[in-house]
Amino acid sequence: MKPKVAFFDFTGCEGCQLDALNLSPEDFFDLVGVIDFVNFREVMTEKSDDYDIAFIEGSITRESEIPRIQKIRQQAKVLVAMGACACDGGVNCLKNHIPMDEALRIVYGKDAKYYDTMPARPVRAVVPVDYYVRGCPPVTAEFLKVVKALLVGKKPEIPNYPVCVECKMADNICAFERSTTCLGPVTRAGCGAICVTSGRHCFGCRGLVDDPNIDSEKEILQKYGLTVEQVLEKFKIYNTCSEVAK
Amino acid sequence: MRQVNVNVHYVTRLEGHGNIILNAQDGKINELKWEVIESPRLFEAMLVGRNYEDVPHIASRICGICSIAHTTASIQAVEAAFGVQLSEQTLLLRKLLYDAELLESHVLHTLFLAAPDFLGVDSVMPLVETHKDVVIMALRLKKLAYNLAEILAGRKTHPLSCVVGGFAKLPDLGELKAVKKRLEDARADFDTIVNLFKTLKIPDFVRETEYIALKDPSEYAFISGQIASSDAGLTPLGDYLKITNEFCVPQSTAKYTKNKRDAYMVGALSRFNLNHDQLLPQAKKAAAELGLKAPNHNPYMITVAQVVEAVHALENTISTINEILAKGLKEEKNPIKVKAGRGVGAVEAPRGILFHDYTFNDKGLLTKANCIIPTNQNHNNIQKDMEALVPGILNQSEDEIRLRLEMLVRAYDPCVSCSTHMLRTSFKR
Amino acid sequence: MAKNVETTAKPAPDVAEAKKLFTITRAGFKSMVDGLAKEMDIVGVKEKQGKFVYGKISSFDELRLDYDVTTMPPTRFLMPARETLLKFSTGNDPRFEPVVDTRPMAIIGVHPYDISAIAMLDKVFTSVNPDPNYIARRKNTILIAVDTLSPSSKSFANAMGTRIVEKGFDLLLTDIGTSYVVTIGSKKGADLLAKYAAPKEAAGNDIAMQKEVRDEALSKYTISLDIPKESLLKLLEENYDNPYWESRSKTCLSCGSCVMVCPTCFCFDVQDDVALNLKEGERFRRWDGCILADFARVATGENFRHDKASRFRHRIFRKGKYIFEKYGMAGCVGCGRCANACLAEIASPLEAFNAIAESARAKEAAARIMKEVRAQAELYVPQPAKLVKITTLGAKEKAFEFKLKSGKPLRHRPGQFVEISVPGIGEAPISVSSSPTRGDTFQLAIRNVGNITNAIHDLKEGAAVGIRGPFGNGFPLEAIAGKDLLFLCAGIGLFPLRSLIQYVLDKRDAYSRVIILSAARTPADMMFTNEQAEWSKRSDVEFLNTVDKADANWKGNVGVITTLIPKVKIDPRKTVAVVVGPPIMYRFAIVELKKRDIPDENIVMSLERRMKCGVGKCGHCQINGVYVCQEGPVFNLAQLRSLREAV
Repeated sequence: MKPKVAFFDFTGCEGCQLDALNLSPEDFFDLVGVIDFVNFREVMTEKSDDYDIAFIEGSITRESEIPRIQKIRQQAKVLVAMGACACDGGVNCLKNHIPMDEALRIVYGKDAKYYDTMPARPVRAVVPVDYYVRGCPPVTAEFLKVVKALLVGKKPEIPNYPVCVECKMADNICAFERSTTCLGPVTRAGCGAICVTSGRHCFGCRGLVDDPNIDSEKEILQKYGLTVEQVLEKFKIYNTCSEVAK
Repeated sequence: MRQVNVNVHYVTRLEGHGNIILNAQDGKINELKWEVIESPRLFEAMLVGRNYEDVPHIASRICGICSIAHTTASIQAVEAAFGVQLSEQTLLLRKLLYDAELLESHVLHTLFLAAPDFLGVDSVMPLVETHKDVVIMALRLKKLAYNLAEILAGRKTHPLSCVVGGFAKLPDLGELKAVKKRLEDARADFDTIVNLFKTLKIPDFVRETEYIALKDPSEYAFISGQIASSDAGLTPLGDYLKITNEFCVPQSTAKYTKNKRDAYMVGALSRFNLNHDQLLPQAKKAAAELGLKAPNHNPYMITVAQVVEAVHALENTISTINEILAKGLKEEKNPIKVKAGRGVGAVEAPRGILFHDYTFNDKGLLTKANCIIPTNQNHNNIQKDMEALVPGILNQSEDEIRLRLEMLVRAYDPCVSCSTHMLRTSFKR
Repeated sequence: MAKNVETTAKPAPDVAEAKKLFTITRAGFKSMVDGLAKEMDIVGVKEKQGKFVYGKISSFDELRLDYDVTTMPPTRFLMPARETLLKFSTGNDPRFEPVVDTRPMAIIGVHPYDISAIAMLDKVFTSVNPDPNYIARRKNTILIAVDTLSPSSKSFANAMGTRIVEKGFDLLLTDIGTSYVVTIGSKKGADLLAKYAAPKEAAGNDIAMQKEVRDEALSKYTISLDIPKESLLKLLEENYDNPYWESRSKTCLSCGSCVMVCPTCFCFDVQDDVALNLKEGERFRRWDGCILADFARVATGENFRHDKASRFRHRIFRKGKYIFEKYGMAGCVGCGRCANACLAEIASPLEAFNAIAESARAKEAAARIMKEVRAQAELYVPQPAKLVKITTLGAKEKAFEFKLKSGKPLRHRPGQFVEISVPGIGEAPISVSSSPTRGDTFQLAIRNVGNITNAIHDLKEGAAVGIRGPFGNGFPLEAIAGKDLLFLCAGIGLFPLRSLIQYVLDKRDAYSRVIILSAARTPADMMFTNEQAEWSKRSDVEFLNTVDKADANWKGNVGVITTLIPKVKIDPRKTVAVVVGPPIMYRFAIVELKKRDIPDENIVMSLERRMKCGVGKCGHCQINGVYVCQEGPVFNLAQLRSLREAV
């Protein structure tokens, strides 16, 4: 019996789900050979509420989303948060720094009163999450890794070391040596250091490692020219919901 | 006494969340709504205070399908604000990257999201049994477009290497050469797609509206040019607000736009109507074969126009890569000097014209942002289309009406979660 | 009779003759590289974004063999970042098939320290439980080494004995300008040389040139081990519990950069990756490192090295002790890559070895001092002294000249202090401000800040006080002999430092350059201005001064003392910096001095703490386990690295 898999999206850009389907024909057919997609609104009309594994994309930003995610949690045997928004809140949390009514006023002007929103939060703030597929967007290979791990019945081997390890494995020139600053030393690896390899720096989208030395990272960022404020701004983009951006 | 109730909650095969509501009794329509319910993302507020380098990175997260469109519009707005000059090499690479997304998005929409309706199935999944070759081809083309974007920008969703002023890392010429061969092989695939679409029955419905798109004298415009309208002349980008005229409708709380008429359309059909004679010959040939002639006023033909544009984009990628291979690539530095200022970037996202309007202070921090998304601009037109369509089909079964309405919405290829101006309605029953 | 015609193709040099050196021209080298490129994959050192990396070489001109160090070591080709070990099939009858890569390759431009590292990896992977994957790669890899011409500033290969190698490569090239001297290391190398490069036997002057090039490179190393390499094992063993590991690793991010870039690191993790169809898959290994947080964690969650300090210590012990004990070869080759890569700047094993050595020396010296302090019959009883002269220095500062009633000189060392008593008021520790070379009297420059100093300021010439001491270690006169001396005196930091400056000027020929940087908050706060003016006039003294805030008459520099440091030429190899000033100044001064690469042990400071007994009993002056009144108040920065409370 193939496990039944459902995809749900909350507040997000829907890029994570689409990237999950960024598969070669061989991989796609292998995948549908081992799981049954029963609910995937973005690409399927058929749907069923009888599913074993639920992948959740997007963060929770409105009251109405809470009963919806709770219902999914009740149904699913396994719930996987997919993408930075679901795992750690993502860029949606940037609005948490602005007082709610001011934010609404900036965007909607005098019509602000029609809109409701609340501070964005990751899925785990509302229901328990079993596994995480991190990143903005996640690497398709890691999504498949989690799927395969669920299918063979093991915990997926997700790294607990920083991006620096993967940067060195890719023989990148360190971002700090290229007149930019980087959150790699405290960000969880698993992405293959793709942002540094592509000429940028690490933005921290995969969240922090379990025991990051934030003080040291902040000191290093300042040593390389950032003010204290600029350091906090860097952490805000993806790590607002963790302690470090305070 | 005939009651027609169509209530589609969260239309499927759509990017984002939207509802279709129709209540009619005895041929009289009591309620007909295209209702968009997306959580306000509040990007314009989130961008305030951010450094110009981070702005395109965050703006990209407005949408996962057209992240290259948002990134490009965002970068162009920053460059307009600071007066940044771009090299020929950068323009070539940007065009190529843009074509990659266009290809991918159109393949996704036409084959995965729209085609199932025409083939009488609920999704691409059943097609795995009945049209396996088509599914393989669709996946292969999607992956090809993805790979091209990866070669240029590190990845397709939320691209990396394209930055304000140029590219942080240049693509590998060897990889470009290899992907060009795959693109050339894809020509045969598009012949297959054109032939497939020739067999599909496109619903017949006509409602002329105003068509708006970018227009550039030198080529079929995607990331350059001025704003063109079928009803008026050209408008410079800086005056976009004169075109969009966002307003609120009292009972429905979605923001609408309109210009010369009660609504306007953006997207592939608008582009085709305005710029069709700039299409590359292979695309013109495809249009002729598919019976698409300008001006066309059938919104269901948007999907067909996307097929034509995909052919154009494919040819464009091949000729652009040839140009890059001939000229070679060289490392370029383009230091950015920040200054206080305002800039507007506009691109043709796969689903229509997209505006990013930024104001910066003299430290390079953003003080104000306004983003107008294509789907935003189509909502009014979709509503008006529905209002014109439904009376003529009310005598059909509820299922048929529902399908026609869903297909109408899908034809626009809406990208609803982009809609930073969207909100939830609380309507009364 | 036909003349003997020499054939143009010479037979390949016999490996037995490998001790013979050869020369080849640049063109010969180029044809060798081009020839190799046709036969196999070649990688070599090239430039990338301002640094040097090993990468695919498509043309000879890409090679940059004048490099200092590459970001990643060439060992990454022998032990790749990720490598499939075997393929398997799942199910009821699982199968396992080994996967071994035997593709030939050549690596061009390997420095001797990396050759040493490879030799160590060879030992690890071939001696016990031979590793088929490593062995296959190694067998099929040609190593063309080059002598280091410009070592990285962080390299200490000379100290680790890996600067020059005589084996472990196929060919070793020394660039002598117009051509290369070639050392043959194997038959493969000899064949290669003969096939492509038209080698000639090296002439005498070529060989001499090779030595010259190597010596020139040797002179460029700026850092070294403070102790003989052989004593490292014992040193580390005895310092397992040194507080250095804890204090130094505070800023460690466990980011893994140090182990990833290291040529002698070879730890790896093994994982299974099943295919999507779940029927087959591969088992692969990828780089891992002991510095990473979960390296020693087991499935139950227990982590046997869960804190940064123990992981930090373990890595240094691997490099300095464990690897040598196990394999008989250096675990650290001194390439300096980790020092370059570490963002927290704590990774260099050399700094660790030297710091531990210094703390061991300091412990020993402290033990000596304890025994050497001149015992007085009554430990706490002051001897009488008379105030012979008072000189006003500033608004709250005066210099008091004393003579012991016994008539004998104090016999103090510059940097020591005395305890001065005003009976009924109390006793205070004051540094001696004059040099012991200046006669039978001694001067105490005192600022009026508290009860006792207030009482002293009220004294008239002729008054009597009590004196105990001298106490403390004083400045390290032996260590600074013959060196360039850089004095940083800020504010009343001049008071203790003056004793040393006078001493040095009185024995001027015993020292090399003397540079005095003097600072005060305002011109009115400058102390001993006449004497400073005399110093500035001396032709054998380089003198710069500055004030934080100028007045109308001040014509000199304005700015804190650290702004003067960049104005001075410094040779970090022979400069000792002596810094005395208010506590806040030390941090910034240290930063500036480290920027100039002055080693920790050559930055000397005098620290202030609350002192009472002066004889290492009452406990008030302690910094961690050290009594400032006994082992200080003068410390060098290397010692302070082990004292967490110090700076």
